[in-house]
Order: sequence, then structure tokens, then C-alpha cells
Amino acid sequence: MEINYDPGNFFDEMFESDGSVRPHYKNLLERFNELSEDEFHQKKSAVDLSFLHQGITFTVYGDSESTERIFPFDMVPRVIPNTEWKHLERGLEQRIRALNLFLHDVYHEQKILKDKIIPSELVLGAKHFRKAFMGIDVPRDIYIHICGTDLIRDDKGDYLVLEDNGRCPSGVSYMLENRQAMKRAFPRFFPSAGVKSVLDYPQRLLSALRHIAPNGNPNPTVAVLTPGVYNSAYFEHCFLARQMGVEIVEGRDLVVSKDDCIYMRTTEGLKQVDVLYRRIDDDFIDPEVFRKDSLLGVPGLVRAYQKGNLGLANSIGTGVADDKVIYCYVPAMIKYYLGEDAILPNVETWLPFRDVDLKYTLENMENLVVKAANEAGGYGMIIGPTASKKELEEFRAKVKAEPRNYISQTPISLSRHPTYGDEGFDGRHIDLRPYIICGEDVNIIPGGLTRVALRKGSLVVNSSQGGGSKDTWVLNADE
Amino acid sequence: MLCRVADSLFWMSRYIERAESTVRLLDVTLQSLLETEHSTEDIDYSLWRPLLASLGDQELFESLYTEKRSHHVTEFLLFNKENPSSVFSTVAVARENSRMIRDQISSEMWEVINRLYLFLKNSDPELITREMNFSFFQQIKEYSLLFQGITEATFLHKLGYEFIICGRQIERADKTCRILDTKRLMISMSDEVDDVVDTAQWAAILRGCSAYEAYHRVFADEIEGDLVKTLLVLSRDFPRSVLFSITRLQTALHAISKCPTTHFVNEAERLVGLLISRLQYSTPKDLAGDKVYPLLGLIEDELGEIAVALSDTYMFSEIVDPAAEVAETTA
Repeated sequence: MEINYDPGNFFDEMFESDGSVRPHYKNLLERFNELSEDEFHQKKSAVDLSFLHQGITFTVYGDSESTERIFPFDMVPRVIPNTEWKHLERGLEQRIRALNLFLHDVYHEQKILKDKIIPSELVLGAKHFRKAFMGIDVPRDIYIHICGTDLIRDDKGDYLVLEDNGRCPSGVSYMLENRQAMKRAFPRFFPSAGVKSVLDYPQRLLSALRHIAPNGNPNPTVAVLTPGVYNSAYFEHCFLARQMGVEIVEGRDLVVSKDDCIYMRTTEGLKQVDVLYRRIDDDFIDPEVFRKDSLLGVPGLVRAYQKGNLGLANSIGTGVADDKVIYCYVPAMIKYYLGEDAILPNVETWLPFRDVDLKYTLENMENLVVKAANEAGGYGMIIGPTASKKELEEFRAKVKAEPRNYISQTPISLSRHPTYGDEGFDGRHIDLRPYIICGEDVNIIPGGLTRVALRKGSLVVNSSQGGGSKDTWVLNADE
Repeated sequence: MLCRVADSLFWMSRYIERAESTVRLLDVTLQSLLETEHSTEDIDYSLWRPLLASLGDQELFESLYTEKRSHHVTEFLLFNKENPSSVFSTVAVARENSRMIRDQISSEMWEVINRLYLFLKNSDPELITREMNFSFFQQIKEYSLLFQGITEATFLHKLGYEFIICGRQIERADKTCRILDTKRLMISMSDEVDDVVDTAQWAAILRGCSAYEAYHRVFADEIEGDLVKTLLVLSRDFPRSVLFSITRLQTALHAISKCPTTHFVNEAERLVGLLISRLQYSTPKDLAGDKVYPLLGLIEDELGEIAVALSDTYMFSEIVDPAAEVAETTA
């Protein structure tokens, strides 16, 4: 099957602008050329069926019966040359170090606010800033143990950071399953120089979790805390628990006793839990402290954590760094805490809480992307160039009413990648979510989840809005 | 093991067994009805009523269907989502339970349940119920047996395995009773039960329990009602007999508590012990004629109580007082 189309004015991952293939894709393209259409379709349906049978699905709500769908998988892998990856690795490591120093600082001395690097009202007024956590020490001073930073490439092929996701980033199970699927479907396609393995992710995660056991307990009981079977990422929670060989627990399985330790109910009585990898947001984790109506959480969990009887990943209050306004200050944090320049730049961003930026945003909205500071998944945003006059007017009013809660950015023309669709192979926009584990060391899993907007021309890669994913290969060499 | 996990293992296994048993019941009834009638569509609803009654589903069926032809009954028992004990519903619940604990079971176990679910979901109820598709029944039985084999071969034979056994054995013993009970209901179907029909009905019951060959190996005889009862209730060797099923249940219960079978440490163990000795010291004479039917009713009730006692002991389905629990474990 031939992969051949006009890359247009976009940065195409496989092809140079003159249509010639980039060196690190050469081998792959040749293999695809040798493949017959029948073989390709056979492999594709085998992969889809295997995802369905294994139940590698996410849940879509809405109908009377919620339906399970497989996350569409595209068979053309994304390839990253070794040198390029090393650059990303350095940038991501620098970023996670700065973020953890920042979180420790804002929940203790707040030096960065006192030195006026970041206006203190931005941090203290942030939606996910947890005042109750001021002065609380967390094990090993790590706040973000698992981070899923979203990277994009612009029309020149430069990598930019879109957001950090320091709360409960999801999708890592797709990264692992995608690799397994590719190995089964296309064993001969893997280059002789080799693709870096991602399969030890669960072991690395487990060792980072064991690292934060209270009192340095060398043999802690670790568990994954899930909102339950109706959560759309439940498959992933189970998958990780199984791969790590630890229990998966729901709120109702746990109880905090008078000694402020946390226990799970077992057939042999109560058993203490030392570390929780929680996949429940702050808001729902403890009805005694956060939302009173939450049935998913564990009453007293925060107390156990504050008393130092529990390791929690990620820590509480990391959402302040996910605020899109605070995101703009990450390069300043890097400079402040590490004395270095940011290796990976942010997308150019205006902050309407400053009068100049507000004026600029209102006057140029039809040329900008405007986003709410605390929304995710492609919600609460407007893409100026494609919005109607009415939509723009409505958004202008929102921004004017609450300038602190919005940011605006120049639209980025995301890079494209060959992707199979109804009319054969064509370029589709992609992003990249590498997974960073912060334990005794910082570990960046080579590759990550490449998400692809399957609809022609679409820039939205989210699974809820017609996105799919690809296997991501980091080569041991540059071609 | 988490109480919630024990609960899910138990019900996952029990519901898969129930799906299989419902198919077996339907299979038996259809086969024996066909001995006396010309075609399935001629079967009068009054002939179905006893089966529905024995499952406790008669009222629900009559409230859901105004037309009551044979294919409505089979649709109700196989596919109806409003019937919580239809094969589709029980498989869906088994799947929900296994989905909740898929980190605990082997991926092969989850996949076979998921495949069974997708198989049912993608089946056309119209097509299957109108034609009385016996190969469809066969496929469901095979999925259930495949699940058991996969569990046997891929799942750790530890605590969780014993909860799986408990769920399966309670359900199996109960359904063997109910399949036997259909004979009483068949008698009431027609006034003149000649010997040929009688034998055909017992043969259908044996087939429904996969016991046809076993019967001939044990008795090398023509099919006779009292011998069928003896095999299905009192046999120590036939794996679907009541005594065999609850003896295996007892072994599982005591493996969980690690208490020898000569004693008991909880109510479930006590009740199972009592029931086993009752059957161990029964003779074929105790089952002769109509005497078997009150016994079957008693066994069904006892099994219900055993399941409740098991849940009280290990799954804390009631609200528990955490403080009391903590005091208990630290004491």
C-alpha cells in the first residue's frame, strides 16, 4: 500500500515539504509499500477485534444504556528519532523538577510570590489551590509523581508545551496496549536498530509509589484507588493494578480508623494500606474535607495523609499548576528555581487579567484561541478563526466578566501524520503525551501516547471528540 | 482478599452457572414437550406455566407479555432485559462483576465472559426464538464450560478460587433440584402419561443434566424414574448431582476458613454439614415416588440460607461498624 499525499503547508511528520520521506521514516514507508491492501485490512480487523474482546474500551454516556467503544487505533506508528527524543527528555525533566519545587514552595514559604515572580493573587485565588494544605509536608517533597505533559509541534516542527496535566493524567494503558498490538500485527516492521521499550512502565510506577511509603517502610502495601467500574477510565485503573500486582480499591473498601491510619476491608479483617495511587480528583477524595456529597471518597483520608500515615500519588493541590494562567509562568519557575532557561517553550499566551492583554484578546479574538483556565478535554474554549460572530461576542462578554479565568493563544497549526481513513492514507493532526514518573529519579517513558484527530482538518484529538491514537516509536538511532 | 472482591467472584461464577442452567432447563422442557406435541408453536401456554412457576418468574412473564406463545417464553428466558434472570441479564451481571475485578482474574477469564456477552448481544432474538435453535443452547453451555476450564487452568487455586467454587456449586445444586422438579410439572401437563412419554421425559431430564451417558454406565438399565432421582440427588460421583455439588461446596468453605470438615466455625459450614449428612444417610427409598419433591423444596431453601450465611461471614453485605471492626482486629 502506498502512502503518498500532498503535505501542503503543514509540518508533516513523515514527509519533507518537497514530498521526500524523512530519514527516520524511510524503513517504515518501504515496509508499508510491500504490504497488500488485503493484508493491511486483515491486520486492522484483527487488531480492532482484539481490543474489543479484551474490553480495552472507554464508556460513552448519554443513551439509556451507556455504550463501550474502543479507542480508535491507527496502524501507522509515529516515529521519533533518538536525538530529538533526548532533547524532549531534557526539557520534560527540567519542567517536572521546577513544578515540584513550585508546589512545595506555594504550600510552604511562598518565596516565589514574595519575590513577585508570580502575582500572589493568581496562585492564592486559583480554583485548585488548597489552602488547607499550607504547611503540610508530603513524603520526599514530591507532589506530582505521574505527569502527562501534552506536547504539540508547530508548522516549523518545533515542539511546544500545551499543558502539564499534573493531577490524574490518563491514557497510559493505551500506550502499552498500542505497542502490544503493533508487535502482534507488524512484527517485521520494527527496525533492526530497535525501538525503545515502554513495557516496564508498571514496574517504574510501582517503584515510584513504594518510594513514598510513610516512614520509609521498605515493604509497603500499595493500592490503586478508583472511582469504580462506571468511570470511563476504569479499564486503565484495573490494567495498572494488575500489571503492578497490587489491589484495586474503591472508597467503600477503605476505612480510616481512630489511629488515623487507613485500612481496607478484607475477608480476613482490616489490613493497613500505606500508599494509594489515586485516580479520583481532589474534590471527591474525602467528603470530610472536600465535597460533602461525595460517595466515591474515603472519609478521613486527608487526615491520614496529613498525619503522615499515607503516601498519596499525586498529592493533593497539584491542580494549581494545571491552571492555564499559572502554566504561563512555568518558564519563569524554571528560571527562578533552577537558574536555567526553559528547554521546551510554551505556546505564546496572553493573560487577560493584565489590561494590555485583555485589550489585545478582545480586539483580536477572531484570530486567537481562547480557553477557560480550568477546563480540559476540549471544553470551554473557542477557536477564533472558525467561530461565528455570535459565538465571538458571547465569548468576549465572558472574558470581560472574568478576565482572570481565561487565556488566549495564537492558533497553532499542529503537525500532521499519515493516518488511514476511508480514502486511504492522508495527513491528520496529532499531538503527543509523554508520561513522566517522578520517584527516586525522574523517569520519562520513551514515546508516550500520540493522539490523532481522525476527522479531516480537525485539530481536536480528544477521544470524546473523534480522536484516536497511534503507537509511538522512539528509535535507538536517528534513522 | 477484599470483601468486595470475594463478593464479585462469587456472583460472577454463580451468574455464569445460572445462565447455563437456564439454558439447560429450557432445553429439557422443550425436548420433552416436543415428545408429545407436533411443533413448538402448538405448545399451549399452560404447559409452559409450571416451568415459569418453578423459576419464580410466572408473574413477571405474564405482566410483560400479552401474547403468550412459545417463542415469547423463550424470548423472555433468553433475551429479555427486564427479566433479571434471563440468560442475557445474568451474563451481563456476571460481566459487570468480572469487570469490577478484572485486575484479580486472569485476562483469559475476562475475555471469555466478554465474548459470551458480545455473542448474546449480537444474536438476533427473533431468529433464535422462532426456530428453537438448539445449537444456540449448546454454544452457551460451551461458553460456560470453557469459562470453568479456563478458571481451572489459569487462575491461582487460592482463596479467590474457593469463592468461585462456592458460587458455582450453590447454583448447580439448586438448578439440579429445579430440573428434577420439572418432572412433577410435566406430569400435570397431560392426564394420560403412558410409559413411552414417561421414559422420554426422564431421558430429557438426564440430557438436561448431561447425565444420559452417566446413567447408563451406572445402571446399565432402561430409564426408570427412581433411578434417575437417585443419580441426580444422591450420587457421590456424578458432578452435577446434589450431593456431589454440596460436598464440593463444603470443601471450598473449609478451604476458606482453614477449619477441618469435622468441625465448623460459621453458620454456612454448619448448614452445609447438616444437609450433607441428611443426603449421605438417605436411601433411594426416601426418594421413591412423590417423596422426592418435598425433599427438593427443602434442599432449595437450605441452599438459599447457606448463601446468606456465606455472605454474612465474608462479604459484609450489611452495613458494618468500622470502629467495632478496628477494635476487633487490634484486640
